[in-house]
Amino acid sequence: MATIKEAELPGLGKKYEVTLENGDIVSVIIHDEGTREVYHFPDEEEDPLSVVTMTDMESRQLGSIIGGAFYQPKMLEKLEAAVADLHIEWIAVKEGSEVAGQSIGDMRLRKDHGIIVIAAIEGKKDSRKVRRGNTRINPGPGYIFTPGHTVVAAGTKEKMKLFEDMLKNKKDVERENEN
Amino acid sequence: MTHDLIFNLGLAFTFISVAIFIAGKLKFSSIPFLILIGMLVGPHAPDLQGISLSLVSQTESIKLLARLGVLLMLFYLGLEFSAGKLASAGTSLLKGGTVYVSLNFLRGLAFGWLFFHSWPEAFVVAGITGISSSAIITKLLLDLKRTANSETEFILGILVFEDVFLAVYLSVLSGFLAGGGNLNAAEIIPSIIIIFGFILAIITFGRRIGTMLEPRLSVKSAESFVVIIFTLLLLTAILVETIHIAEAIGALLLGLIIAETVHSKRVIQFISPMRDLFGAVFFFSFGLEIDYRLFGDAVVITLAAVVMTVVGNILTGFLASWLAGYKARRGFNVAFTVIARGEFAVIVASIAVAAGTNELLPAFAALYVLVLSFISPVLAKNSRNFYNLYVRFVNYIKKPRANSA
Repeated sequence: MATIKEAELPGLGKKYEVTLENGDIVSVIIHDEGTREVYHFPDEEEDPLSVVTMTDMESRQLGSIIGGAFYQPKMLEKLEAAVADLHIEWIAVKEGSEVAGQSIGDMRLRKDHGIIVIAAIEGKKDSRKVRRGNTRINPGPGYIFTPGHTVVAAGTKEKMKLFEDMLKNKKDVERENEN
Repeated sequence: MTHDLIFNLGLAFTFISVAIFIAGKLKFSSIPFLILIGMLVGPHAPDLQGISLSLVSQTESIKLLARLGVLLMLFYLGLEFSAGKLASAGTSLLKGGTVYVSLNFLRGLAFGWLFFHSWPEAFVVAGITGISSSAIITKLLLDLKRTANSETEFILGILVFEDVFLAVYLSVLSGFLAGGGNLNAAEIIPSIIIIFGFILAIITFGRRIGTMLEPRLSVKSAESFVVIIFTLLLLTAILVETIHIAEAIGALLLGLIIAETVHSKRVIQFISPMRDLFGAVFFFSFGLEIDYRLFGDAVVITLAAVVMTVVGNILTGFLASWLAGYKARRGFNVAFTVIARGEFAVIVASIAVAAGTNELLPAFAALYVLVLSFISPVLAKNSRNFYNLYVRFVNYIKKPRANSA
C-alpha cells in the first residue's frame, strides 16, 4: 500500500500526496471549485515531470477508469470501491452459486439482505477483447442472476461480504468455511 | 434621471467586464486592470485632443455598491478566517509567519514615517505595503503550476497568517478612524483600546454567540436565508458604526461569528458571487477616484516603496522560510512569490482616506499596486533563475578559498 499524505491548502483546496513504491510522488490537488490537478514528481525531484489539469467531470471519469470500472484487470477476481461506509463491488456470478437462477425480487435482496444491485453486466467475457455485452443499469426485481454476468452492487462492508459468498460457487464457500 | 443612473451603471459594468476579460486573457489578477480602467474612463480621465475619455461618472449608486463590496470582502475574510487552521499548521509556520509579518510591518512603518513624518500616515503605509495579496498570489501559484510544491503550503500559510494579522490591524486602524479625521494621540489611544477589547471579546465569545445564532439561521428556503444573512451584515455594520467602529470591521466580526456555526459553508456559497460582483465595483470605483495627474507627487514615494517592498520582502521571505526549515531553493520560491500587493492595500487606502489622512495616499496605493502587479509575476516566474544565479555566485566565492587552502 502506498503512503498518502493529506494537507490543507487554505484558499485553494486539499492536497493528497501519494508516495509510490518506486519512490515517485503523485500529488493530487482538489480545488474548492472542483478542478483537479495531478502532479508527477519522479523520485527525489523537486520539480514535477508533468501536470494534468482536469474538470470535476473529467476527473471522475478518469477516476473510474483507474478504479477499473470499465475494464477489469484479468488477474483480479473482483473490484471494490469504498466511499465512507458504502462499499461498491464488481462481482462475477459463478457457476453453481446459490443465487444462480434466482431473481432479485425472489431473494428480497434489498429488504432482507441490505444489498442494492446497481447494474448487471451481461454477456460473455471475450478473452482477447474488452468485455462485450449489455450493461443493465438498475436492473428491476425481475433480473435473474446468471453465471457469467458481473454484478455491481452496493452495501455496507459486512453485507457485501455475505453477498459475495452468495455469488461464489457453493462448494468453494464450503471449502473456505472448513478451513 | 433614472435613465441616466442606469446608463451610467451599465457603462461602468461594461468597463468592469472589459477589465476582467482582459485580465483573464492575460492570466492576470483583475484588480490592477479594474483600477486602471477606472482611472481611464472616470471623472479624471485624460483628454485625447479635445475628446474627453471621461465616460463614467462617480455616482452615489456606484459608491454604494463599492461600499457593499468592501463589506462583503471583509465578511468573506471573516468566514474563511481560521485561527484553528493556523494553529494546526504547526510551530514552523507560527515562527516564520510572525517574523515575516512583523518585520514587513515595521519596515513599512519606518518607511511611512520617513516620507510623511506622521504616525497615522506611517501606520497606513505600513498596512498598504506590509500585507500581500491572497488573491494575486493564489492565482500566481495556480498559473505557475506550483500548487503541489511543498513550499506552497508554507506560502498559503503565510497568507492565512496575514489575514489574521489584518483583522487585528484593521481594528487598530478603525481606532484611528474613530477620531473622525482628528488624528491626535490622546483621542486615538482610548478608542483603540475599546475597539481592541471589543474585538477580543468577539473572538473569545464568537463560538457562544454562534451557537445562539445557529438554530435561528436554520432556514430551508434559499431566498429567506440569503436575505437574512445580508440583513444581518447590514445591521452589524450599522451597529458597530454607532460605537464608532468602521463598518468593515463589523462585517469581519460577523464573518468570524458565522464561521463558528454549521451554516458557514452555505453562507460562503451565497456570498462569494456577490463579493466578486461588488468587489469588482469597489476596485473600479477606487480607480474612478484616482487622478493620474497627482501621480507626479506620488511617483517618488511609490518607486521607493516598490524597491523597499521587493528587496525587503525577499529578505524577510528568506528569513521566514529558513526559520520554517525550507532549504535554499524552496526559500527562493517563497521569497519571490509573496511580493504581490493588491486588494488589502486598496481597502486600507480607501478606509484611510475616509479618515482624512494625506490625500496622496490613494494615488500612492493605486500606483503601488499597479507597479507591483506587473513586477511580481516576473519575479515569481524567475525564482528558479535567481536561485541558479545565487548558486553560481556562491560557487564563485567559494572557489578561491578552496585554492588557497
